[in-house]
This record gives sequence, C-alpha cells and structure tokens, in this order.
Amino acid sequence: MKMNYSLITSAKQANKLCMRLIFILPVFLLLISSSYSYAQENSIVVVISSKNQINELEKRELIDLYMGKYNSFANGASANPIDVVNDEELKAKFYKALVGLPLARVNAYWSRLKFSGRAKPPSMENSIKDIQKRLSSDASALAYVYASEVTDEMKVVYRFD
Amino acid sequence: MINIHGLGVRFSIFLIAVSVIVVLLTAEFFYRATYQHEITEANNDIEELYQTVSATASISAFLEDQDLAKEAVNGLVKSEKILAASIKGQQIYYQVNVEEAIKKGTEPRVFVVYHPFIPDDKLAQVSIYPNANHIIEQATEISNDNNYSLYVLAAVVGLVALVINYMIIIAPMIRVGRSLHEIAPGTPQRLNMPDYHAKSEIGTLVEDTNQLLEKVEQQFNQERHLRSEIEFLEQRFRMLFENAKSAIVLMTDNGFIQLRNNAFNELVERMGFEEKQDYGELLEQIFDDPRAVKASVYEAFARNEFATGEFKLSCKNTNQLVWVQLIANPIIADDGVKYYQLTLNDISKRKKELQKLALQADFDSLTGIYNRNGGEKLIAKLISKGHHFALALLDLNGFKAVNDIYGHDAGDEVLEFVAGQLKRNVRKNDVAIRWGGDEFVLLLQAEDEESVKNVLQKVDSSIKQPFYFGDKEAPTTISMSVGVSFYPHTSADIEQLIKQADIAMYKAKQNKVSAPEKYLIFASNSED
Repeated sequence: MKMNYSLITSAKQANKLCMRLIFILPVFLLLISSSYSYAQENSIVVVISSKNQINELEKRELIDLYMGKYNSFANGASANPIDVVNDEELKAKFYKALVGLPLARVNAYWSRLKFSGRAKPPSMENSIKDIQKRLSSDASALAYVYASEVTDEMKVVYRFD
Repeated sequence: MINIHGLGVRFSIFLIAVSVIVVLLTAEFFYRATYQHEITEANNDIEELYQTVSATASISAFLEDQDLAKEAVNGLVKSEKILAASIKGQQIYYQVNVEEAIKKGTEPRVFVVYHPFIPDDKLAQVSIYPNANHIIEQATEISNDNNYSLYVLAAVVGLVALVINYMIIIAPMIRVGRSLHEIAPGTPQRLNMPDYHAKSEIGTLVEDTNQLLEKVEQQFNQERHLRSEIEFLEQRFRMLFENAKSAIVLMTDNGFIQLRNNAFNELVERMGFEEKQDYGELLEQIFDDPRAVKASVYEAFARNEFATGEFKLSCKNTNQLVWVQLIANPIIADDGVKYYQLTLNDISKRKKELQKLALQADFDSLTGIYNRNGGEKLIAKLISKGHHFALALLDLNGFKAVNDIYGHDAGDEVLEFVAGQLKRNVRKNDVAIRWGGDEFVLLLQAEDEESVKNVLQKVDSSIKQPFYFGDKEAPTTISMSVGVSFYPHTSADIEQLIKQADIAMYKAKQNKVSAPEKYLIFASNSED
C-alpha cells in the first residue's frame, strides 16, 4: 500500500525553515545594524525624474510597479520601471530588498508571465549612465541606484534602510 | 466412506472455519483501513494539487490577472478528484462547476492565496470542492481489490495447508490407525512404518505401538503357556481330589461347604443324610457326638495344630455304625478368608476288628460271659470307681463226673447252661464271670449277707434242675459251693478279696455231701 508522506515532509520542512528563520533573524539584524554607516553611504534608493510630480512611493507601490501589476503611478501618470543590466550586484541587491527573492526567482517569475500575462517586465538600461540619461528625459521612468550616485535630475522617492 | 468424526474432516472443518473467520475479520479490518487511508490520501492529494497551482493563483491574485486565475482553476478541475473549484480575490473571480457542487452539498476546502512577494498579505481564496463520489468510488474499488486478493491468498494458503496437512499428518495417521484396528493382539502382526515418517512423531508412535504389540504378544504366549500348565495341574489335582478314598470337604468357618469330593458324597449318602451344602459348624450334624468333635477340634486349633480324632457318625437314619478318623486343618487363603479342610477316613472296619479283639480278650468264648481277664478288669474298674460289692466265688460239684462220663461236649453244655442260669437269675447290675474251668464269679451289688443269700438262693435252685444228656433216661444234677467276700468290708485288696472268697468256698465244699444246704459260706474278715 502506497503511503504519501510528501505533504507531511513538506510541512515538516516548512516548520524547520521557520525555526531556522527565528534563529537567523537576530543575527541578520545584528549584521544590518553593524553595517549601518556603510549602508548610509551605499544604500539603494529608488529614483524618478525630477520632472515627475510624485514625491514619495511606498514599498507596496514599488512592488506593484516593478512586478508588473500596474504601469502607472497612483496619480494616473504612466510609470516605466527600469532594470540595470550591467550591474548585476545592484540589481540583485535591489530585488532582494524589494521582494526578498534572488534574481533567478525573479527571472523565473517573468518567464512564467511572458506567455500568458498582460504584465510586462521593466525595460532595461545598460548602466547607471544610461539610467541617468533616461531619467533626465523620461518623466515616467523609475529606477534604482546607489545613494552615492543620485544626481540633480533624480528625485529619491524611496530609500531602502 | 467419509467419517464425519474422523481427523481429516474435523481438521478440514476447523481449518476452513478458522480461515473464514480470520479472513472475514481481516478483510473487514483492511477494508476499513484502506478506505480510511484512501479518503485521507484523497484529501492530501487535493492539498498537493492546490500546491501545484498555488504559485499561479498567487501571481494571478497579485496581478489581478483573470487569465492566470482561469489557468489555475482549470488546472485544478482537470483532476478527477476535484468536482469544482473557484478563486475569489478583490479584483478577480473565476469558478468551474461550483453551482453543481453546492447543489450536491459538497463542503469545499478553502485555501488562502497570499501575496507572492509580501508574506502574510492575503489576496484571495481558492475553494476546492472534492469529488466525493469519485473518491469514495476509488477508495471502495481499491479496498475491494485488496479484499479480493486477500480472499484468494487465504484460499490458496488454506488449501495448501489442508493438502499438506492431510498428506503429511492425517493420511499416515489414518493409515496407521486402520492397520492398528485390524491387528489382533497377541499375533505377530505389526504396523508398517509410513513413508518418510521414520523420524517423525508418527514414526515414534508406530515404533512404540509395535513395541507394545511385541510385549503383548510375549505376555499372551506366556499366559497361554502358564494356562496350559495350570490346566494340566488342575486336572491332576482334580483327579487326586475326586478319586480320593477319603471324604474331603473345604468349608468356611461357619460351615458352608465350598468344595466336596465324591467320597464325601458317598459317605453322606450311605449315612442317609440329605445332600446339602451346610451340615452345621464342622459338619456337626453328621456326628454322633458333635460336642466332643468341636471340643477336640477347637482345642487343637487353639494350639495352632491341625486336629485329628476318631468319632462315630450319627446313625439315626441308618443302622450302620460308622467310625471316622477326622482330620481338620484350618487354612487361611491368600485373601485372608478362613477355611477348614476336613478329611474323614472311614475306620469302621478297623474299629470293628479292634472291638472284636477286645471282646475276645474280655469274654469267654464258650459262654459269652466275662472271662477271668474281663472279670479282673471289671473288678479293678469297680474298685477304682469306689463301688461297694460282694464277690461270690462259685465252684460246680459234679462237673468233673459229667465231663468224664459224657465227654467234653456235655461238659461244655453244662457250662453254657450254668452261665445262662447265672445271667438269668442275677439282678440287672450284677455281673457273672467265668473264672476258669468250672469256677464262676458273681459280682453282686450288695453289702449285706441277706441280699447275697437271696440272690444265690435263686441261682442255686435254678442250677439244681435235672439235666438230661442224649438218650440217657437218668437225669444228671449238679450243684455248687460258694464263698463270698465283701469289698471293702472283707478286704480292700483285690488279691486278698479273692483269696478270702476262695477260702470260704473251700469251706463250703466240705459240706457238699454232709450238708448240701450249707453250700454258702461268707469269708471271715481277713484281719480275723
């Protein structure tokens, strides 16, 4: 007689994961606090064109925009999230901070939606320079950069702690 | 030919009954277990199915993408285990078959759809209506399959067990039992060892049984041999017992006869007793003096000896005088019961001869009265008993002349005549004795001279009767002279007593011619 334990095992694994998280969380927090000063300088910020009327975005709004739910800001102005292609590290850090997923998972998410969804992935710019250029011209553009790279044409609408 | 109470049938019935019960119980248990398991499994499957579409559902809820939602729900209802499913979020709703499921009263399983990127953010819920019919059908089918295979398995195992058991145990047992049944004990027949059982319990049983048969045969043979020996002995003993000339009986101590031989029967018949099993204690009824018998026998028994004695049999039914020598022997049998063995030897003939001898010794053969020997014994007996008596010594006068003239036969005739007269004329308790020759003695119960005179007067006159011999015309007469002494008055000594009488008689003899009337003279006291 065949017995199916897969669910039980998966449930157990989930439970283990939770336990692990509980242990890991304080360590994680400690790390964050110790590197605070560095983060201040090198933290990732979300920026939009200074021409845009939006002054601030919530994290949820950011997720909705970057993960393809909406393609316009809350005030109805269209929004175009931009991914950086060259700086994988930045991109990874950004997505990790935004949705808590590694890049592979984010890519998988988009692959799944490629055939069936209305949702479109963010458009791409090669480098920070390109992003700066884009932001200066495109009022609907939305991008993420290190805090140290913010220029006058950019308006910081969200700051990752 | 099938024995309902036989081992085979019993074992088969028992095995079948037990297997049926066990199989039914097991089947029922497994059916329930399987059924329950399948139902649980189905529920788990539903959860698993949901897991496969949960990502899609989550994304569709996040993106509020109806197409994706449709894809997720359709993916679910593709499974036969799911009757209907729906997804419901703020902006999306899609369902398949839900109305039918609600109509059937199916309870949905509800799963919460979370935000794909923000944990704990609930976006929608998916309701899955399990296809209960299908699940139950499936469970029943699997359970039934299980049961059928169980039945088949049990039947096969049971049948194999039955066959093996029958071949290995029951068939050899039945064969052994049948051949044992046909064996007559005490014959050289033996059981055959069943094939392949030389070292099994059945083999041991057969060997032990054969040993037992061997022993039984030996004992039978021994018994037969012994029996023939006993029969032979018994025959001899019977012959000995039956043909014994002595009458032999075996009796209980209360007189009941257990065993008697022909001689005893003949004796009893001869004595005129009816034939019966009980003649009283120690056969007392057949003895003339049972008290003497008992006294003598019990006295011997008391001394732990066998009793022997000579006793006269009762002759009240016959004129025969029968004396027997009785030997009585007490026997204690092996079982503790007491018996008496009585042997009776007929000694009448010997007794008669002895008596005759005694008579010859004590009596005068011519006259039949006591002779001198008998007379002396009698006198001794009277004295020993303390009797007082008178002793009269008679001597015939003229006897010698008769003898000389007419011969001895005439003399004998005279003596016979005198003896007859003496017997006739003395009193009942008086005794006449022929003392020898022509001398006679009378023992008279008298202590005074007068009564002696009276008796002798009669005697005197009777013997004086004239006597005719042959053709002689002239009669002969004889007379007597008598001397009398008294015991113990004259003397207490027997010799002296006789001597005194003799002296007195001689005195009287002097008078036989001169004064025949003084034929009687009393002895004077010896002291005189």
